Amino acid sequence: MNAIAYLLVKNVKNAALDTIRHPLKLMLYAFIIVSMIYGAVMGFTAGSGEGGSFLEGIIERSGGRLLSGAYLAVLYFISIPIMLKGLSSGTSFFSLSDVINMFVAPISERMILIYGVGRQLATMLILVITFSAYGGMMVNMFHIGLQDTFMLIFGIIIMLIMVQLVTLMIFCLASCHPVRAAVMKYIIYGMAFFAVGVVVIFMFANGINDENFFEAVSLPILEFVPIIGWMHGFVYGIITADTMKILIYGILLIAVVFLSLLTLIKTRLDFYEDVLSQAESYHEFRESIREGKISDKLMMGNREIKLRKLGINRGEGSTAIFFKHLREGGRRSRLMFFNMNTVVLILFSVVVSCGMRLAMPEIEPTIIYLAVTIILAYVQFFFSASGDWVKELTKPYIYLIPDGAVKKLVMAAATGLIKPFTDGIITYVIFGILTGGSFCDIVISALVYGSFGSVYIASNILAQRLVGIESSGGIFITFYMSVIVLTLLPGIIIGLVIMSSLAGVYGYMAATLLGFPVLIWNIIISAVIFFACRNLLNNTE
Amino acid sequence: MLNVSHLTKKYNKFTANDNLTFMVSDGETAVLAGPNGAGKSTAIKCIAGLLRFNGEIEICGAKNKSVEAKRYLGYIPEIPAPFELLTVWEHMEFIARAYRLTDWEDRAKELMRRFELTDKRDKLGKELSKGMQQKISICCALVIDPKVVLFDEPFVGLDPHAIKELKAMLNEMKAKGTTIIISTHMLDSVDDIWDRVFIMMNGKIEAERSRKQVEESGENLEELFFGITESKTEREEEAE
Repeated sequence: MNAIAYLLVKNVKNAALDTIRHPLKLMLYAFIIVSMIYGAVMGFTAGSGEGGSFLEGIIERSGGRLLSGAYLAVLYFISIPIMLKGLSSGTSFFSLSDVINMFVAPISERMILIYGVGRQLATMLILVITFSAYGGMMVNMFHIGLQDTFMLIFGIIIMLIMVQLVTLMIFCLASCHPVRAAVMKYIIYGMAFFAVGVVVIFMFANGINDENFFEAVSLPILEFVPIIGWMHGFVYGIITADTMKILIYGILLIAVVFLSLLTLIKTRLDFYEDVLSQAESYHEFRESIREGKISDKLMMGNREIKLRKLGINRGEGSTAIFFKHLREGGRRSRLMFFNMNTVVLILFSVVVSCGMRLAMPEIEPTIIYLAVTIILAYVQFFFSASGDWVKELTKPYIYLIPDGAVKKLVMAAATGLIKPFTDGIITYVIFGILTGGSFCDIVISALVYGSFGSVYIASNILAQRLVGIESSGGIFITFYMSVIVLTLLPGIIIGLVIMSSLAGVYGYMAATLLGFPVLIWNIIISAVIFFACRNLLNNTE
Repeated sequence: MLNVSHLTKKYNKFTANDNLTFMVSDGETAVLAGPNGAGKSTAIKCIAGLLRFNGEIEICGAKNKSVEAKRYLGYIPEIPAPFELLTVWEHMEFIARAYRLTDWEDRAKELMRRFELTDKRDKLGKELSKGMQQKISICCALVIDPKVVLFDEPFVGLDPHAIKELKAMLNEMKAKGTTIIISTHMLDSVDDIWDRVFIMMNGKIEAERSRKQVEESGENLEELFFGITESKTEREEEAE
């Protein structure tokens, strides 16, 4: 058996044995598989629902055009990222152990490249199988036949294989050639922009309404896009029994396969140097994630940072930590407390608001504030994971600084406590201007959003105090989530009681009625937890 | 001065440090030597106040977790952990501010000069190699002018010039009366600077010798180390 086959067989065998030896992992996989099978069976067998939902109405009106557009979007979604990876020096093709052990072994570069791409393909196939479970839902929702459903899924699998070959071709051509890589990047992005552009131009030219949208996403011109459009044309050719389409797009796709293989055979490969540094940083990234360490180096990659201001310049003892965080934050984002998270929050709030207004035109603004706050608080949970203070705990300095434990803890968490309040104020002021609503709702919602940040940090501290900083990720997350729920619950219950008792008179300001008790509770409970866990920084455990 | 009394550190049922008792005087350089997994780094981390433990540890007469003890203590971890978004000089400034140091700039500049970091002054932590990061780690610990310094494998990753400088600095600190504890298994790297050695195995101190005792016996550090660790391993194998 040759080295690559041996490696593959051993990897699969050891992964299977490892799963068997870890009952929890085995149970989790079994659960996922059973859920997928159940989902698929239910999807195929369940009725299409009584009365017809809002979504079903849209699908009905589109008459198959929406499915055509959605299928094209799926093809784009799976192809573009993979093709772009062909330009990123094959980062995801190889692990660091592949690089260290295989690149120096007497194995041909071509074989190693095929192995790398093959591994990637296997991962993607697992994803496709997972998605196939939703085939039943597709049959049900779009009222298409079983045969057509299988054809669509088959098209996705073929597309995945094709796109791997194309990625190989891109990799062979772009590796060690920055200009070519740049040109190819523009071509790949161009393919995506073409489709979006066609749809947008068509709608602006013919009027923005659902009928024109259905027409735009199913325009035949979209099938002219190389590979992705061709695959769509080929699959739909089979579904609609259009021989011309099958022949033209089939021949074009076969030509792409030949061209890719020819490139692979003819190109002189020398990709080791590119892959080495990428694989090293990817390895570092994975290890850090596994150890639960979030570092700026990993989050920001090789982004160049211009040092506009130098020095910490302020602070003594624990407060030096806060001013250090300000300097670091200024280097992550020029506007310290306004970053991509803030933009995401604004977008989320606007989308939720528009959605609610479209679905329920008579809705009170205060209800929109409530819904938006709940959703934004949920989104904030994910932002809070990479706070400054979390990073601080992974380094020894904070434990060694000769200052009081509570002061160190508060100063380390200070930027994390301030950020949600500034995010809340910015988001809700913009949201208020766009949506309207009372001043009280805007202020209370912004402060409630900010107070959720305090609770998340306090809960994180409490969870770390209870299970230890160095506990395993799974145990910690479970504890952390439980602590959050238990910490938030009393405030929400009090708020709901007050809101329901006063709703008759002050129903138009429900967000304030519910939000104010939640705000007060969140701040009190966070302060109590901070004080109770003041000894967290006594050791790293 | 460092005083460790009945230090025991357990991870569930595993005992990493088992009732360690030792003392290192002012101006003395002690080496914690031992094979991998002997418990050297754990002991160093307990002394630095980073881990929970049973027993007593005093740094210059103060409990090791007290604010007073922290003022006297310098710690160089095994794996350097610089702040990715601070420049080299800002690391010095941060430590100086956090420790409320005065007149620290000249000392920081001198440390940077000796470790050839002067031209890297405005480089960010994330842009530095592992060796450079180790140098920053050493500078951060020494800029506070500590009375007790803990080094965990300090020579790993350093270039020959930095190793030479660090050895020279260790001798200077010793002359000034600083208590130095070095955990290492690279015995030849500390051969010319140690005063006292604690040879650890399986979480215990198997032997403690002063330099005078070893020299009088005609052995060197390496012979002493292997004499103790290998005979113990052989005894354990025979017992099994």
